[in-house]
Amino acid sequence: MVVANDPLALLLLKQDVETFLYHEANLLDDRRYEEWLELLTDDVRYWVPMRRNVKFGELEREFTREGQDINWFDEGKDTLTRRVNQILTGVHWAEEPLSRIAHMVTNVEILEATPTPAEPETVSLRCRFIIYRNRVATETDILVGRREDMLRRADGQWRIAQRQVFLDQNVLLAKNLTFFF
Amino acid sequence: MAITFQPSAYSGLVDQDNGMVSREIFVNADIYAEEQERIFTRAWLFVGHESQIAKPGDFFVSSMGEESVILCRDRQGEIHVFLNSCMHRGMKVCRYDEGNTPIFTCPYHGWSFATDGALVGVPFYKDAYHEELDKSQWGLIRVPRMTNYKGGIWATWDENAPDFLEYIGDFRTYLDILFDGWDGAEGGTEVIGGIEKWLVPSNWKFPAENFIGDRYHNISHRSVDLVGIGPSGQGRRDTRERDNARALDISFPERGHGTIVFLRPADAQPVPSYQNDPVIADYFYQSEIARKERQGELWRILGGPGTIFPNMSYLPRQPRSIAVWHPRGPDQTEVWRWFLVDSAAPPEVKEFLRQYYIRYSGPSGLTEQDDMENWNYAHAASRGAMARRHHYNYQMGMGHAVTDFEDGGLRIPGTVLDVTKARAGEQNQRSFYTRWADFMAARDWDELAGWRRGNGSGSTC
Amino acid sequence: MADIVNLFEVEPGQTIRLHSDATAEVVSNPRDGVWLFVRYLTSPDDPEQVGAEDMVFAQDVVELLTD
Repeated sequence: MVVANDPLALLLLKQDVETFLYHEANLLDDRRYEEWLELLTDDVRYWVPMRRNVKFGELEREFTREGQDINWFDEGKDTLTRRVNQILTGVHWAEEPLSRIAHMVTNVEILEATPTPAEPETVSLRCRFIIYRNRVATETDILVGRREDMLRRADGQWRIAQRQVFLDQNVLLAKNLTFFF
Repeated sequence: MAITFQPSAYSGLVDQDNGMVSREIFVNADIYAEEQERIFTRAWLFVGHESQIAKPGDFFVSSMGEESVILCRDRQGEIHVFLNSCMHRGMKVCRYDEGNTPIFTCPYHGWSFATDGALVGVPFYKDAYHEELDKSQWGLIRVPRMTNYKGGIWATWDENAPDFLEYIGDFRTYLDILFDGWDGAEGGTEVIGGIEKWLVPSNWKFPAENFIGDRYHNISHRSVDLVGIGPSGQGRRDTRERDNARALDISFPERGHGTIVFLRPADAQPVPSYQNDPVIADYFYQSEIARKERQGELWRILGGPGTIFPNMSYLPRQPRSIAVWHPRGPDQTEVWRWFLVDSAAPPEVKEFLRQYYIRYSGPSGLTEQDDMENWNYAHAASRGAMARRHHYNYQMGMGHAVTDFEDGGLRIPGTVLDVTKARAGEQNQRSFYTRWADFMAARDWDELAGWRRGNGSGSTC
Repeated sequence: MADIVNLFEVEPGQTIRLHSDATAEVVSNPRDGVWLFVRYLTSPDDPEQVGAEDMVFAQDVVELLTD
């Protein structure tokens, strides 16, 4: 947590950030994917590692490494845009008909605000998520995990500059990951 | 340990004369249980890659059929595959995915096994067992047959199975494209860290037959072709190398393996590909030239997706990877995918491929996502009492395959269906299910190794 | 009676006392929390054991003699 030498500014910032995160979740759940893309900086990093069972004392090997290993996702805006465009072709069978998705974002904590909580340019935060997906008739997935985001202020608005998603699964129990975390 | 099976009542569910297969073999729980006995305890199965266990004590927990196995390199550097089950009361002795260890200790009662499988630690050995337990008889169950072919580790539970090279036969020509370097250097590949594992609600044979040569399902991938993720930013892959090539479906019905390939014209030359980056373009271009020099006429064969019976599938070029379809009940498959790169490739090339692999394959891959939707609901819609009464149709291209295919002086091994004009055929799938029926019917490997009797060395069906 | 020894905290070179009252030097720790590789230093019940290497089970470790 950031040192709260300005607790009121921190409280207002947390409120601001949460409002942004809920807005983002709404865009995704409302299938407004192109608007969602606009929330990402052009140099966004989006990383979702896979997760291993490792021996006690070897937790540094638990996650596959960004930029080195195979990960569920390890990409920037170009590939994310192609994913959105794929859904918008109308023939992406894994999302046609579209799934019903709800993002629940909780446990939001501000980790760092620079240069200050009162006038922040970037904010690092941690939160938990539950993503509920239901598709076709009875197919249902629930994915739970931790997210660490870095937001950057641009043109008076928050943008997502970095997203790290730590999914609480080993063998992925969903047949695909056609949605965004 | 070799069990002699009586022929199964189910082998007749594959109607080879009419190109039809009963849906029962995909959805019926009794048939699934028989498959575990008749196929997965007798066939050669892919376990892992030697680059995953480079150092003594390295281990990688894998799966053979439904069962957990440990692939490990012992202190002397020997590679082993063990059943991951304590000999005392059956507990998994390793619940980690990979790592390095001097011993595998069972957390239940504490029996401990060395990396060569030997039972080395027995609690209260002196007082409770009175030193009378013969530890040499209670080591971890070891696969009786294992091989390291160009870095790929394969194993079978059947001590009477033929050698792996006899098991793959002339399919070796095609499998080599996967495991050799891009420049044709023998066994020049390694695995990138991170094995994808995920569940697909479908019978394991759906993906196995898809990879053996289903060119007909291209429409599944319409959306990714529209948005473009290939190495040069378009389509699914770079296809210029396929210009003017013949499209061949190649299978070995007596073995069950199959692949699709593209056969370049006799006067073909290497063409530039992967052209978005000069370092990467140059690597692949130079590798092509080196491969052509090394392989001569065989260079004309461009590898495509394939399946080694029963459940190992692969893509030898773009995106280069291995998938194993682990059966997890008639209605569920656990997919594991390994990604390969040339060991000798520069870091830029490995990184470029890593990114391409991630966006192409697996549950997050723009291409494969659509496959899994199809396997899922094809399976779901085949389970009903009415649906089961109707066979799937595998008649495409029936009677049009040959066993003596030759082009420009190059003889192509296997049963070949030329689909250059047709664009698709189902010869490979028919071969797969022909072999499936063999496994269900055969008593033992004497019957299964039909090629030794000289009958069925490439029969068409 | 001494507290239960957590084998993860035992380092090679340390000395342990065993259930049989033997003492042994830890040669290596496989870090499974269950076993240690040791060399016997003393063994009242079985003097021939002295100098021999063995695997020792966690429940047979009574106490850590050296820190």
